[in-house]
Amino acid sequence: MRMRRNNGRVVTAAGIAVLSLALAACGSSGPSDSASGGSTGGTDGSTGGSAAGGKGQLWVITDASLNPLQKASVAEFNKSTKSGVTFSVSDFANDPYKQKLQTAIGSANQPDIFYNWGGGNLKQYVDAGQVADITDAVNAAADFKSKLIPSVLDVGTIDGKIYGVPMQGVQPVMLFANADVLKAAGVDAMPTTWDDLQTAITKLKAAKKTPIALAGSQGWTELMWLEYLLDRNGGADVFQKIVGGDKSAWGDPAVTQSLTMIQDLVTEGAFGTNYSSVGYDNQGTLALLAGGKAGFELMGSWEVSALNGNFPKFAKSDSLTWGKFPTVPNGKGDPAAIVGNPSNFYSVTNASKVKEAAEEYLTTQLASDTYVQGLLDVGQVPAITGLEDKVKTGDFADFNAFTYDLVKNAPSFTQSWDQALDAATSQTLLTSLQKVFLKQMTPQQFVDAMSK
Amino acid sequence: MSTVTTTAPATRPAASAAAETRRRGTKRERPSTVGWLAAGVWLVVVAVPLYFLITTSLRAQSEYLLSGPVSAPTDLTLDSYSLVLHSGFWGYLRNTAVVTVATVVLVLALALPAAYAIVRSRSRFVRRMFSLVLLGLAIPAQATIIPLYLIVTKLHLYDSLTAIVLPSAAFSIPLAVLVLTSAMRDVPNELYEAMAVDGGSPVRAFVTLAIPLSRGGITTIAIYTAMGAWNGFLFPLVFTQSENVRVLTLGLWRYQTQYGVNVPAICAAVTLSLLPLLALYLLGRRQLLSGLTAGFGK
Amino acid sequence: MALPSSRTGRPGPLWAVPALAFFALFALLPMLIVVGLSFTRWSGIDQPQFTGFDNWAHLADDAQLLPSFRLTVVLTLASWVLQTAVALPLGVWAAAPGRPRAVLAAIWFVPLLMSSAAIAILWGLLLDPNFGLASVLGPLVGVDDGNFIGNPDLALWVCIAVIAWQFVPFHVLLYQGATRRIPETLYEAARLDGASKLQRFRAVTVPQLRNTIVTSSVLMLVGSLTYFEIILILTGGGPGTATRVLPLHMYLEGFSSFDMGYASVIAVLLLVLGTGLSIFVTRVTGYARMDSQTEGM
Repeated sequence: MRMRRNNGRVVTAAGIAVLSLALAACGSSGPSDSASGGSTGGTDGSTGGSAAGGKGQLWVITDASLNPLQKASVAEFNKSTKSGVTFSVSDFANDPYKQKLQTAIGSANQPDIFYNWGGGNLKQYVDAGQVADITDAVNAAADFKSKLIPSVLDVGTIDGKIYGVPMQGVQPVMLFANADVLKAAGVDAMPTTWDDLQTAITKLKAAKKTPIALAGSQGWTELMWLEYLLDRNGGADVFQKIVGGDKSAWGDPAVTQSLTMIQDLVTEGAFGTNYSSVGYDNQGTLALLAGGKAGFELMGSWEVSALNGNFPKFAKSDSLTWGKFPTVPNGKGDPAAIVGNPSNFYSVTNASKVKEAAEEYLTTQLASDTYVQGLLDVGQVPAITGLEDKVKTGDFADFNAFTYDLVKNAPSFTQSWDQALDAATSQTLLTSLQKVFLKQMTPQQFVDAMSK
Repeated sequence: MSTVTTTAPATRPAASAAAETRRRGTKRERPSTVGWLAAGVWLVVVAVPLYFLITTSLRAQSEYLLSGPVSAPTDLTLDSYSLVLHSGFWGYLRNTAVVTVATVVLVLALALPAAYAIVRSRSRFVRRMFSLVLLGLAIPAQATIIPLYLIVTKLHLYDSLTAIVLPSAAFSIPLAVLVLTSAMRDVPNELYEAMAVDGGSPVRAFVTLAIPLSRGGITTIAIYTAMGAWNGFLFPLVFTQSENVRVLTLGLWRYQTQYGVNVPAICAAVTLSLLPLLALYLLGRRQLLSGLTAGFGK
Repeated sequence: MALPSSRTGRPGPLWAVPALAFFALFALLPMLIVVGLSFTRWSGIDQPQFTGFDNWAHLADDAQLLPSFRLTVVLTLASWVLQTAVALPLGVWAAAPGRPRAVLAAIWFVPLLMSSAAIAILWGLLLDPNFGLASVLGPLVGVDDGNFIGNPDLALWVCIAVIAWQFVPFHVLLYQGATRRIPETLYEAARLDGASKLQRFRAVTVPQLRNTIVTSSVLMLVGSLTYFEIILILTGGGPGTATRVLPLHMYLEGFSSFDMGYASVIAVLLLVLGTGLSIFVTRVTGYARMDSQTEGM
């Protein structure tokens, strides 16, 4: 579903060190180097030379919680702008969206502002010359830029130029659980070690529950298990090498070890038996978790807003709980490391006829108090500095604070692999991994297929 | 393998068949249990999903998740229908209707004269063309989706209903030409010759002879093309994107993601998408069914 | 030559030109372009780069190609056998008169009114292993956990069954209509010879339906290359690659991996298959002959 994918660069150790700094430092320190932008006032569109008006398109992904917020922010812009330009929002389901964007961009029917995953996903459009360089506009809006977490903005920056700005929350993957189900099965706390998890699985099975809900008909949900296991077993460097182009890194023993652990989970029935029929896009696992049929689910932090959209009562109750991915025995990785998506981004198309208005929208709305509060209200922690106090309010105060700390304390934040790698490799990865889960492929065969 | 039929040449199915059945019917023997059993099994296979569809669409969402799919629904509600009808359904329906009508009109406007030429013309060019068009019979449309996308974009038709109509019509032409050609072949040559002797132009022969006498084939093609356009999925998926040109099939798919666990709403949407054709079916079942097969059934 | 020759009252070739031109632009031209694209590398957003035979060479190491082809063949043949085995007897049965039969037949035809998307979505709901009918009916047929579309050994057969659910009604109609046109005298003769019901079915009905069997089979075979939407919506080609038939393989290579060049190679293969099938069909049935007044189907 929504934010999972990003292509391209992985934001890892170095980047995240900065993130933690920035989060801690809050506010104006780091990024206020706007002088280097060399642009003065006008470029950010607030006056925008051509007040002739016009219409623009903004494309996002369908999300019951976020779409109203996105539309409200566009409406706010349409009302207050002096450019005369009005934007309209179109939303698309996740998988069709990527295809739609791929085919529409560069054509006469492209959007003016489009949702993307930053990193390599954005880079392919930049390389094709389809994305506007908005460095000047962002630098000119010093106040806006100073609010963005630099390491997250980095994911929207390619070759030193800003092509995308973060537009929603940070998206680490974590373990969610139905506390009622756990309690009924005799599991008293969220597992912190692999052994804890094994015990919980055994108890949940005995209680006739599916221990872990998994939307196995969509490979990316399975990928999260491999991402975390490899990170815990072998450290963040292994995937760093892979994404750097070293295919032989797939042969790292930690990869086979992680895949073996996955197959062991499957064998012991950790995901039940029919997980491969279950989908995430039709909210199959949400229903399992909220409906009390399953104990855990490994998912991105958007799970809370998704649950809130479909099962608001459950989402706001104490039954919904969460925790870090457990540690593994003899793991080389840092137990505080996380995987997921740093954020999602808005970019402006190069051929847009309302480029200046688009830049104006980005710089005036995305860090506005209303927008930031709106994200917090639906359980998303925006990539905005200095939110220590704000995250502790609202329906999802606890969750937001947890996410905020999780990201702040993480030594590395590995970007979702299917976003970090190119599209073709991602597809091979996802189908091969599905086969590993189905035991149609051994870990070794997986490694062979990926190193080719 | 020649397939020249030796029996009942060129009888028009509907009327005579009905008469024949009546005749035959009186002499049939006692009903066979095996037949009824098999028929009953298929009835179950067809009816159970439909029962699920209808009853679920009338349930409240909470009730569906709690009491499971097979229990008899208790509190019936039309909420799901009103939800769907307020989520753009009418727009999707209108777009689909426009696409369907335009495709049928276009196909008939192109294929009728072509079939007429094939049957009546002596030109070798026309014969060649016929063979060429027939090659298109089994061409899977999705194999051409990538270049079609290019063409549609170059013609500045992307994200319009026209972008769906044109390729849909093009891929309906082979079958249309084929069926209409066989229909027009049934018009006796003498009629054309008589008209020619009277000095009638080809246009007149086309309008007063060929078209009226191949009504069966025309109905078949109209219905067949209409159903193809009504059900089209891939072309709309790739050639359109905006809400205001979204057709029903894509709308349904979207509801599936949008509503997700709200199974009653999805069922209501599917049911609503079925209603227009169901209404047609109830009104003119015989015409619809005989029309659907007349052109193939010679 | 191009003008209507009114002396004989015969139409000139001009009559056929619009249809041909239209067909050429939206069906033939794309086929040529797709051949061209198969020699390029193209992600859909940049400009296609000529790469010679690279994509074609890639065919050799595409581990999914043969499995996809095999799945396509299995899907085609199994659909053909299953649909014929169901539709033929039911069509013959429904041809007999009587109100109960008419009512039953009327219900049978309802799936015919549903779009592939609607059918795939409906069956997706039914086959949900946790909340759908599969959770209830699965145990009755030996699939205790209701895991139909997630089981690599079952998924293709589920798709075949759902496709049959969609298309059987149409073929029942064909057989029903054709059976009603069998002259009663043939049955009377057989009855006088003391033939039993089954014998009459085999000796009279089936031979008389030969042409309809050909028509119906042709439509099934030709249609099988386009069974695509149901699989896309129901399984997306999964689990793993268990239902990734050739058209879907092409679609996913093109629109998920964004390797439009290689997708075009597969598209060319599909076109060759489709054209081959068309030629085979027109030869076998004599569709292409122009002079017969009574040719049957």
